[in-house]
Amino acid sequence: MNRYLAILLTFARACLVRDMTFRANFLLECVTSLGWMSMNLAFYLLVFTYTAEIGKGTGWSKEPFFAFVATGLIINSIVQAFFMPSAEELTEMVRTGGLDAVLVQPLDAQFLVSMHRIDFSSFANGAVGVGLLAWAVSRMDHAPPPVAWALYPLLIVCGVAILYGLVIMLAAATILMGRNQSLYDFWFYLTNFSRYPAEIYSGPWGGPLRMICTFVIPILLVVNVPARVIAQPFTGESWGGVAAAVIAAAASLVVSRIVFQRALARYRSASS
Amino acid sequence: MSGGFEAIRPPGQLQGLRTWWTMLKISLEERLVYRGDFVLGTLMRFLPIVTQVFLWTAVFSATNRGDIAGYSRNDIVAYYLLTMLTRAFSSMPGLATSIARSVRDGSVKKFLIQPVDYVSFLLAARVAHKLVYYAVAVVPFGAVFLLCRGYFPPPPDATTIAAFLLSLALSFLLGFFMEATLGMLGFWFMEVSSIVFGYMLVQYLLSGHMFPIDLLAGVPTGLAGVSLADVVHWLPFEYTAYFSAAVWLGKVQGAQLAWSLGIEAAWVVVMAVACRVAWRRGTRRYSAFGG
Amino acid sequence: MHNTDPNAAAAVADPVIEVEGLAKEYRVFDKPEGLAASVRALFHRTSRAVEAVKGVDLVVGRGEFVALLGPNGAGKTTLLKLLSGIITPTRGTARVLGHVPWERADDFRRRFALVMGQRNQLWWDLPAAESFRLHQEIYRIDPARFEKTRDALVDMLDVRRLILQPVRELSLGERMKLELVAALLHEPEVLFLDEPTIGLDVVAQHTIHEFLRDVQRRRRMTVVLTTHYMKDVAALCERVVVITRGDVLYDGSLAEIVDRFTTHKIVTLDFDEAPERALIERFGFPCEFRGPQVVLRIDRSRIADVLPEVLAAAGVRDVSVEDVPLEEIVAELFRSDTRAHAAAEAGS
Repeated sequence: MNRYLAILLTFARACLVRDMTFRANFLLECVTSLGWMSMNLAFYLLVFTYTAEIGKGTGWSKEPFFAFVATGLIINSIVQAFFMPSAEELTEMVRTGGLDAVLVQPLDAQFLVSMHRIDFSSFANGAVGVGLLAWAVSRMDHAPPPVAWALYPLLIVCGVAILYGLVIMLAAATILMGRNQSLYDFWFYLTNFSRYPAEIYSGPWGGPLRMICTFVIPILLVVNVPARVIAQPFTGESWGGVAAAVIAAAASLVVSRIVFQRALARYRSASS
Repeated sequence: MSGGFEAIRPPGQLQGLRTWWTMLKISLEERLVYRGDFVLGTLMRFLPIVTQVFLWTAVFSATNRGDIAGYSRNDIVAYYLLTMLTRAFSSMPGLATSIARSVRDGSVKKFLIQPVDYVSFLLAARVAHKLVYYAVAVVPFGAVFLLCRGYFPPPPDATTIAAFLLSLALSFLLGFFMEATLGMLGFWFMEVSSIVFGYMLVQYLLSGHMFPIDLLAGVPTGLAGVSLADVVHWLPFEYTAYFSAAVWLGKVQGAQLAWSLGIEAAWVVVMAVACRVAWRRGTRRYSAFGG
Repeated sequence: MHNTDPNAAAAVADPVIEVEGLAKEYRVFDKPEGLAASVRALFHRTSRAVEAVKGVDLVVGRGEFVALLGPNGAGKTTLLKLLSGIITPTRGTARVLGHVPWERADDFRRRFALVMGQRNQLWWDLPAAESFRLHQEIYRIDPARFEKTRDALVDMLDVRRLILQPVRELSLGERMKLELVAALLHEPEVLFLDEPTIGLDVVAQHTIHEFLRDVQRRRRMTVVLTTHYMKDVAALCERVVVITRGDVLYDGSLAEIVDRFTTHKIVTLDFDEAPERALIERFGFPCEFRGPQVVLRIDRSRIADVLPEVLAAAGVRDVSVEDVPLEEIVAELFRSDTRAHAAAEAGS
């Protein structure tokens, strides 16, 4: 375990050195990802000039909703920083045979494949997320109880774990299919569902969609559970969501691990 | 077999047409090879709309008004679906980055040597690419629009339809020349991916892809009587998504419609010239400094 | 037609690599050409199995330096990938250092290395020293030992000043040297080299030969190398395994391959001045006239009889007798196999 931490630190250092070598590019990346985020925030502000709440009686008025958005920012920035750049590079590694070099090393391939590149510029969004959370929570009608604050980090970790499992399954699919750009588009579109409170998915179409995205691909638990805990009144019912998030996180890790191992066994390796 | 060497040499025009035809065939074949990717990819592109529709439905449920900035809930759904259609014309996936890449890795050299005009070549390739795209995408698009026909108002009159089609054609050209110009910045900057990303950002916000530009009508700019929407109408971005959709939904009519089409056409000319100039200057710079 | 000595396997003491009936099949989808065919392929994709490696038997003992030769697409690289556990075989067994490679046990992976000449395994934007450091972590190399090994390797190749430069700024030859250093840091017992000298200039090739020979002897490392350069083989390998179309065609010593597959000796005669053609042609051997020099290809069985007679020809100033160059032997070997295969196909 210690060794893996040491290796992770080596990766982190190398990526930092690299980012600092191409400083201008790094700064631009920070700026663009911040720009993207502020644009979304501007859109929500615009929406709130026309309504006081997202969905009648859902409790997602302006401040709680921004706490929700902040939670999403924090979780996504962690996933973007640690896992996505590596997973995206995997397509290239499969195409050029770079994965071969990974497989001969005495190290867990999943670890190498999912963490060898760390994108520090993504932390910029996370930092803004933390600030936004503080602002939104301080302006809410009700202050979150200590238990909510205690559960919040744990649930953030669960959210990250659920998304990590999905990333690994995409990686496995990439290994099997060789080339598949639309997989990463799929990732984007899928996580899109996690961006808003689950309550908006109602009605004859929304209901089933909500069920699928909660129990089949637990994407709705990622942001919703931690955001509810911090931004909505904490009640006995909240524990149900907590349990669901923990179980989904564990399942996501285990299933993705199995799928990834199977994919590696069937790896074809590019011909040289 | 007699004929000899001086048999039939196709004149230049025909040769160009033949090249183009070959290109069309090859890209259709390419697309068919990755058909699974393609159909899935096209359908997936509708997914964000699903979330948007639910979001707006929730917003409408919480307010008591029948419309927001002149859009009913059904209008909003129809609007997002229509922007998908307009973006199928105006978006040029990978164009800017592939131009920049060809500059960086030197493969652009071949266009300095071969008797082919690079911009025309790219345009022809894009037309081929788009035609092929429509040939296959008509299925998923048709299915989605048929499924969602209830959200649309009754079809507009013939003039509006004609204006709509004209705006689509212009949006294709506008999108092409904007992205191509962006790609040519590769002659000056090693790394254009960040610039492209920044462009996409602005584009996403101001093209109306994210929300109808009319929502900005209430946002002041500081100038008396001028809203943010008024400013955006003068920029090229909204003509790549918002405009055509608004035309179909009857949000832009009469003199305003003619005026807006004029602005769009003017932007096409400006960007086409910018693209040419960038190519001219860029290649001059390139040959001066060596790849 | 295996030229393998059936007792060879038993003869190898302390086997490190043991392969039996190893085969790898790939399923490839035909990508049809033409529009109509593409449309048809929408509904029905045709695929077929391609056997990249078909039933290879091979035993390599500790400390051997073996060359895998074969034309492009013969299955050499696939075999190396199977032996290093990158891919899983369709059938057959293999043991490397007592492990089944494709189980990818850490214990196994710590004890071998793979270097591919066409791929870069070092961190592109960073100095190689950083990649070495990472290797130390990954392979759990004791710090003191790591430094000692690294310094020794770096000095042997004379690349000390390069390890602090970003890899992308280095030449291909320099990069290859650093790749080799990285691969040898954990002192592997088995080293797989896939075309390590591809694209390198003569000087760099020579340096790498010297280095590999030296390290291999010192550590008694087992090395399996694929290459297209006979210089590599001549400089490094005692044993040669020829593979064509996924099958072992020949397995034996380099000396034997020369002995077995050369029917001729090349005799070069230097004359004072260009000799009369008839004088030489009367011996009835294929010959080539290059001014005052004549190159003859003489049957090996007859060389002892013929040579005195040839030398007796008027005006011979100097003579040399050489084996046919290795390139030619191997090329002939590949060709004869192709011919035999074609004949078998036609016959069936």
